[in-house]
Formats: sequence, structure tokens, C-alpha cells
Amino acid sequence: MQWLMALETNEDPISTCRLMNIFRRKGVKIATLAMAARPLGYSIIALVETPEADVEHIFNYLRRTEGVHHITYYRHEPAGKASFVFIDSEADSSSVTRFLETVPESKLVFASHGKYLLEIPAEKFPRSTSAAFGRPEFLPFARVRTSRSVLHPELAVARAS
Amino acid sequence: MGKIFSGSEILLESLSRQKVEVFFGLPGGAVLPLYDALYSASIRHLLVRHEQAAAFAADGYARVTGKPGVCLGTSGPGATNLITGLTSAMMDSIPVVALTGQVPAAMIGKDAFQEADTIGISLPCTKQSFLIRSAADIPSVIQRAFKAAVSGRPGPVLVDLPKSVLMDRAEPVYPDVAESERPERIREWTDQDIEQAAEMILESRRAVLYVGGGAISSNAWQEVRELAELAHIPVTTTLMGLGAFPSRHPLSLGMLGMHGSYATNLAISYCDLLIAVGARFDDRVTARLKDFASNAKKIHFDVDPSEINKNVHVDQAIVGDAGDALRALLDELKQRIRQGKTAAHEGRQQWLQRIESWRAEHPLTYDKYANTVKPQYVIETLSRHADEDAVISVDVGQHQMWAAQFCSFNRPRTWLSSSGLGSMGYGFPAAMGAQLGFPDRQVIAIVGDGGFQMTLNDLATVAQYRVPVKIAIINNRALGMVRQWQEIFFEKRYCDTDLNFAPDFAKLAESYGIRGARVEHRTDVVDAVRDFLSDREPRLIDFWVDPAENVYPIVPPGASLAEMVVEPPRVLVEEEILDDLWAV
Repeated sequence: MQWLMALETNEDPISTCRLMNIFRRKGVKIATLAMAARPLGYSIIALVETPEADVEHIFNYLRRTEGVHHITYYRHEPAGKASFVFIDSEADSSSVTRFLETVPESKLVFASHGKYLLEIPAEKFPRSTSAAFGRPEFLPFARVRTSRSVLHPELAVARAS
Repeated sequence: MGKIFSGSEILLESLSRQKVEVFFGLPGGAVLPLYDALYSASIRHLLVRHEQAAAFAADGYARVTGKPGVCLGTSGPGATNLITGLTSAMMDSIPVVALTGQVPAAMIGKDAFQEADTIGISLPCTKQSFLIRSAADIPSVIQRAFKAAVSGRPGPVLVDLPKSVLMDRAEPVYPDVAESERPERIREWTDQDIEQAAEMILESRRAVLYVGGGAISSNAWQEVRELAELAHIPVTTTLMGLGAFPSRHPLSLGMLGMHGSYATNLAISYCDLLIAVGARFDDRVTARLKDFASNAKKIHFDVDPSEINKNVHVDQAIVGDAGDALRALLDELKQRIRQGKTAAHEGRQQWLQRIESWRAEHPLTYDKYANTVKPQYVIETLSRHADEDAVISVDVGQHQMWAAQFCSFNRPRTWLSSSGLGSMGYGFPAAMGAQLGFPDRQVIAIVGDGGFQMTLNDLATVAQYRVPVKIAIINNRALGMVRQWQEIFFEKRYCDTDLNFAPDFAKLAESYGIRGARVEHRTDVVDAVRDFLSDREPRLIDFWVDPAENVYPIVPPGASLAEMVVEPPRVLVEEEILDDLWAV
């Protein structure tokens, strides 16, 4: 089963090492991984394959790990049940640009090295986005759990670079 | 501009501000500047003979005092020798702060002499680890380290100190110490969760409280007892939870699990409600997972959200400090009782009677009339003659299980055991650490001959500092638990479990200036124990026990708790054979 895990850590990369270590110990298959430096830490997003029972434990393990500020995980869902889209555009961001032109209300959760996580307003999903989901680089997700008490205060209207 | 100090001086001052009275360590090249500062400092340092003992001693100190224990090793081997102790502390959630020397900052990553990637190596066995880059950072990092060690689920924290940082000079700014003394505990439960738990308790007919080490680390033992007495719920403890509920209490079931008693394991198997408090459903407790308390609804109190539903699915999770949550639950139950609901369901008395009948059917026992020295008899005698508040520290193996079964635990923080990691060699140095925490208490290390040979070099430490630890060796001339498994599960193919080639431990102790004795006859046990415990000096007794004795009950691998083997297969005596024949 595919999951998306998004973390924010402090400035010590050891927290990232702990994430990698638990992936290794649990035998989690990493499909995509991206990391971005922020002023006071790192943002990491990982597209992984692991059983549902493990992902819950990994979420709980990481949210109580020192140095991890926030963690959220998302389940891969059919487009009808999704409210997030993960885009792995590699070097070509034109598809993201076109997507954002179609759904300008989308909010950027994560962007680094051609990997984007966007939140799509419910009323726009899936009508405006259905065309996109035929493409392999567009994966719909639903948020399962987050350690944030206030949801996504950091979101800004997305702009593909 | 304020006064300038060396990193070593700042470190020692930071430790003093954290109220560290003693730490355990062994010097080496990278920490020479620290030991130089220690020369004129007031903080006490105990020179161990191996860093593993330093980590175990810090662990023992932390378990009895509830405060973080501190250990130190130099760079490279000094740091790697701490790792087993840190892993044990991690598994058992014990607050330990490990200080490690590191090569000078400019040489890190260049394979310098005695360089090791201590942060990398310690990553899976610490809650948090810090590499300090500047002497000025020492006060804030030490503050964070101590706070992390006791916050949430307690555990070990490592601070790596490059030699250059210890030698650099800086003007220290010390943070408010009171800040680190307030451990942070998450609280994720709601009033509805507590109401639901209360409802489940009131509805149950066959409830059991299953109490682990978390009840001790959160100081929740009073609340556990109050809940048990209010609702008439029998209490079983894990190996880590021994002492959280008095052994002598009528509601005490003792330990559950692989070597739990018949009555306790059946109580778990047939209960309709299991209330777990600070326990993690580990494999030695649950046996075959799918049959563990399979008829029961489950409530789980734990400060660590990652323990919820990890091994066993629970019906009601209450994530937060166990003491806080139990107090809320008690308030809720009392309110309902005032409203006329009875906390002790009518069926509860029948349940308790049923457990009593199981207990009568197969009590924990051994051959009390044997001519040989039975290890259980030695341990029972030690417990009977020990002070009420004595600390018992054990190693790992058969003697550990017999101590868990036959010692009386009536106070928390009096039982030290490397329970999760099961690290042999733990018992003696942990006792040493506990003794430093409470110099006036009686501390008894009950160890096996196998485990003791792993850390006996610290006899020199207790002799040097006259640490009055009492060392009782349960000597069966074997790696007893491994031998037991070879006997029962590997068709008696004994392979490398014979330890007959060993020193004379009594003479060895004498060579360190510690009084030693050997006991080989059953009739000598009581007098020897009385004498052993009669003074305030380090002492050692080598009890030569029956090497054929095994730990029972035992739950075989792959079996459920209810499928435990209660006693060894007996050879029928002539009278019984005749009875059988007459029956035919």
C-alpha cells in the first residue's frame, strides 16, 4: 500500500537519520524521497510502500521522536476520495504549471526537486483534476493523521518554479 | 564581559546545576581536559573498570532515584563500550545521560586515533544525541539533554564532546535549571476517553490490571493501588513493573508471561477486561499473540503513542502520563459510585475466588525438602532477611526469573533488571549505581555465575570506594537458562553452556579485599545470609546451587499463556506406579 509521509524536523539532520533508520528496520520500500532545507530545519517527503499496521506505528514513533516538529501521513486513494495530489515532475515542471493554472486555488504543502504536494479545495476535486490523474506522475492522496494541532498554517498559494 | 571558562569547567558546572551528585566513568585521551577540571571540582566521579559498568551503574542509579544517571566514556572504544548499557536503558525507558569524548572537531571524519562515529552508532539506542560544536553551547545542550532524558517516555540521551570543545574557552550563559526539572508529558486523552474507560471497568466481571515499568517511571503506583482496591481488580506486573504493586497485597497476582504463575497466566487468558498501565505487550508477556487475553476488551494507558496498537489492538487508548490519567479515572469512578453504581461488579468476587483456586491448584513452589541447595530457596531466604526497603538488582537468566517469582516486592524502585534487552552482566554494576543513589539502603546484587563473569572486574571499584553492595552468586556452573532451553527444546544437546571452568569467586573477592564465602549445603544458607547482610561492607557469597534446577512455569515458544508447562515432568516413584497398577 502506498503512503506519503511528510515531516518537518529541527536543524539537526540526526532526525532524518532516525527516519531512514526506521524505514530500514521496518523494511519500508521507498519509492520517492525529497528533502528541502528550511531556515530552522528540514522538510522531508517520502512516498513509501508498507502495510497499514506499520505506517501507524511509524507515524506514532516519529511524532514522539526528539527533533521531529511535525509529521503527517497520507494514504493513496482513488481521486474521488482524495484531497491532496503528489506530483513527481522530475525536471519538467510544465505539467505542474498547467495543473496550477487549472486549479489556482491549490495550496502548496511541499516543493523540492520536482516533487510537489498540493492540497486541492474539495469543490475542485476531482472535477478540475480528473484529467491530470490519468498521468503517472500525479498521485491522489487523502490525509490520514497529522501531529499538527492547527492544520497547515504554513500553506501558501502554490507556484511552480 | 563576564568570566571565561574552559569547556570542561562549563560542563562540570552544567552538571552541578542539573543536581548531578555522582557520575560513573573512565578517562582517556579525548576527555583528559575534563578529568583535569574534575581534579579540583566538587562533583563525585566513580572510576569504573569498564565503561559498560558505567552505563549500567548510571541506569541503576536512575531506576532507584528517578533522576537521570550520568556515565562517561572517552572517544572511540570508551564510547562504544557504553552502547550495551544505553541500549538496555532505551529498551527499559530509563533516563541516562551519556557523555562521550570525541576527537578534536577539526579531526572528525578523518579516522583519527580513537575516533568513532558515536552519534551514528548510538542513533538507535538513544532518544536524542548531540554533538557539541562550541564550548558556549554546552550549558544549553546539557539542559536539553537532561530534559529529553526525563520527558515523555524517559530514555538515554548522548552528548558527544570533541576534545577541542572541552579545551575551548567561553563565557557561559546557564539556562534556568527549573526548566529542565519539569518533564514534558503529552496528554492526548479527553474526558470522553476516561468516561469510556470507567464504563468498561464497571461493566466487566473479570478485570485484570496489567502494570508495567511506566507506572513506576510516572510515579503512578499509588493510583494503581487505589484503582485496584476501589474496583477490586487483581493486579499482575511485568518484570519491569515489579514493585509497582505490593507483592503481599491480597490482590497481587505477581508476574505474568513466559515464567508467570499458573493463576496469573490463566487470569490473563480468561479475563474480560485488561487494563494495561505503562506496559508494552512484549513477546515475553503475551506469548502467542493471537491468544493473549483474546476474550478481553483492552484499555491501554501509555505516555508513548507509538506503543498503542503496536503489538495488540486495544479498545480504549489513553495516551499521557499514567498518574494524571489514572487520577482522572479514579475521580470518574468515585463519582459514579456516589451516584449509586458499584465499581466492584458482583461477579468480581467470584472472579477473585476463581483466581484463588487456580493459585491453590498450582502455587509457585519448589522442592523445599531437597538435600541440594535449591536456588529458589536461596533467593527466598535473601528476600526474607533483607531490609524492607532493600534494592534487589539481578542479572539475566534463571536466577532473574526465580528472583522475580520468589522475592517480595513491596515498594517501587527497589527492583533493577535489564528486562527488555536482557543484558547479562547488568546486575552487579547496576547495584553499584543504586548504592551510590542511596548510600544508606541495603543493595543486593543477585547474579548468575555466567553474567557475573562479564562485569566482575568492577569488584575493584566497589573495593576501592567501599561501596557496600552485597553480591549473591547463584552458581549453577552453567549458562542456566540456555541450558534449560537446550534440555527442554533441543533434546538435551548441551552445547557450550557448561561453565565449570570458572574462578573460585570467594577467593577472587578476597583478592580484591572483599569478604567472600561459598555455601554448598542447604543447612548453611540461613546463617550465611544473616551474616552476609549484617554489615555495611561489600560482601560476596557464592551459593553452589542445584545445577539441574529449571524455571517453571514456562510457556514454550509458539504456545499461548494458557498452554504453559507448570512443572517438570516427574519420574514416577514406586508408590505411584503401584497406584497406577491397582487402578488398572
